[in-house]
Amino acid sequence: MVLLPHTYQSAEYAPRLAVRLGAAYVASVSSATLDACGGLRFSRAILQARLRAEVRPKRRLVVATVQIGAFGGHDPVESPERVFEVGRPADVERHREREILGREAAGAGGVDLPGAERIVTAGRGVGGPDEVSVAADLASALDAELGASRPVVDNGWLPREHQVGSSGHIVAPNLYVALGVSGSIQHLMGMSGSRVIVAVNRDPEAPIFSVAHYGIVADLHDVAPALTRLLEARRSG
Amino acid sequence: MRIGVCIKQVPDTDSHLRIADSGREIDDSDLNWVISSCDLCALEEALVLAEAEVSRGEERPEVVVFSLGPARVEEALRKALALGADRAVHLAGEALQGGDALADGCALAAALAKDHCDLVLTGAQSDDLGQAATPAVIAEILGLPYAWLVMAVELDAPRQSARVVRELEGGMNELLRLDLPAVLAIQAGINKPRFASLRGTLQARRKPLHREDCSAVDAGLVGAAGAGTETESVTLPPAGAGGVVIEGVSAEAAAEELLAHLEREVAL
Repeated sequence: MVLLPHTYQSAEYAPRLAVRLGAAYVASVSSATLDACGGLRFSRAILQARLRAEVRPKRRLVVATVQIGAFGGHDPVESPERVFEVGRPADVERHREREILGREAAGAGGVDLPGAERIVTAGRGVGGPDEVSVAADLASALDAELGASRPVVDNGWLPREHQVGSSGHIVAPNLYVALGVSGSIQHLMGMSGSRVIVAVNRDPEAPIFSVAHYGIVADLHDVAPALTRLLEARRSG
Repeated sequence: MRIGVCIKQVPDTDSHLRIADSGREIDDSDLNWVISSCDLCALEEALVLAEAEVSRGEERPEVVVFSLGPARVEEALRKALALGADRAVHLAGEALQGGDALADGCALAAALAKDHCDLVLTGAQSDDLGQAATPAVIAEILGLPYAWLVMAVELDAPRQSARVVRELEGGMNELLRLDLPAVLAIQAGINKPRFASLRGTLQARRKPLHREDCSAVDAGLVGAAGAGTETESVTLPPAGAGGVVIEGVSAEAAAEELLAHLEREVAL
């Protein structure tokens, strides 16, 4: 078995490696078990984390990528040292067909999500660009930074520097309030380390509830303004 | 020039999902089927690239859509034709069905090679299985350069290479140059897919939709026989983190209850 982290670097080449080795390929697994006969079973999220699938490799060799954060870190155990140094194989020519020209920051900056103590995130459930204010108002009542899920950014309702998730910012604030966020794996990877997670969503099956400490099953357009009013009344009183 | 676009028909994730009695798949008797969201972005990008070539005075590249699956997939291909693709290939052969990313990638690679595509676009990952594997498998089998999570594409004037922006973690992008032919897996957010016009829908009926069996490919490499994996069971995810659920009360009452908890938890 070859295990790799499911990062944006390694998950790009891992399937190619599986093909070249004649191996089975399973991506972004969250657990692995052995059955009674010693056969491997991988568990992974499907249908945007709404369901889980147990997957059995049918080949002797398996290449699998592991979802980031799926396993807690363990203290290193005493073991005979078996680290192999692999040099560049002599027959591999430097590939010219794919050339890295450089790297750049994707957003403009000005939003400090990683440093924020509190974050209120607008998800697709806010409904449109004019309704992001529902999240922004609650953020300001909580002295929180404003975050956004990927669909909100992709739709242009908020700029990319607000994006929380594996392709945006990885955050772990003291308080994380998700408004109308369904909770894709990429989003959960970006915020599930937060100390207190609140989710407001109309859909009781939304995957965000699987990581929330407090879940409100209701329309965010009713609950968020109610929260804002209570917080403002408290501040002025 | 020919641009191949691979699309996958997936269950609409907003529809209610039920597990089939077998426990091995979702119940598909009552599902809405749609084109996977990133695949729509891949098609849009192909159409934009084709239009850009025309506006620089070049011949318009042909845009061909490919999809593997049972008869229902024809609907997704017709939609792609309505959006502006020129021609569609349905990998419909019985022996091609029931595969995983390795097997499907093998069949798609054969069909793409048969049509001599100069550029292959796919979505970065499907909305159902989300392995992000099929485009990489296609690239490996065809021996082509590959980029995943592509956020911008520009073809050079002699159409020999593509300049690509690809997403990395933590808000960084990578700039790449890839020789053509190449396989690019398009990330959501690169563009806003267009809607089909009535005219497009009417024209789509007359555009060619060809059935492909990939009979030249070794039957052991495609379909269920070529799959490297098998799904044993599909289950609901484990119940939540044991959190407090507030429901069935007014918004004001829910807000009051939440703030009472937060007062203790985070010292508002």
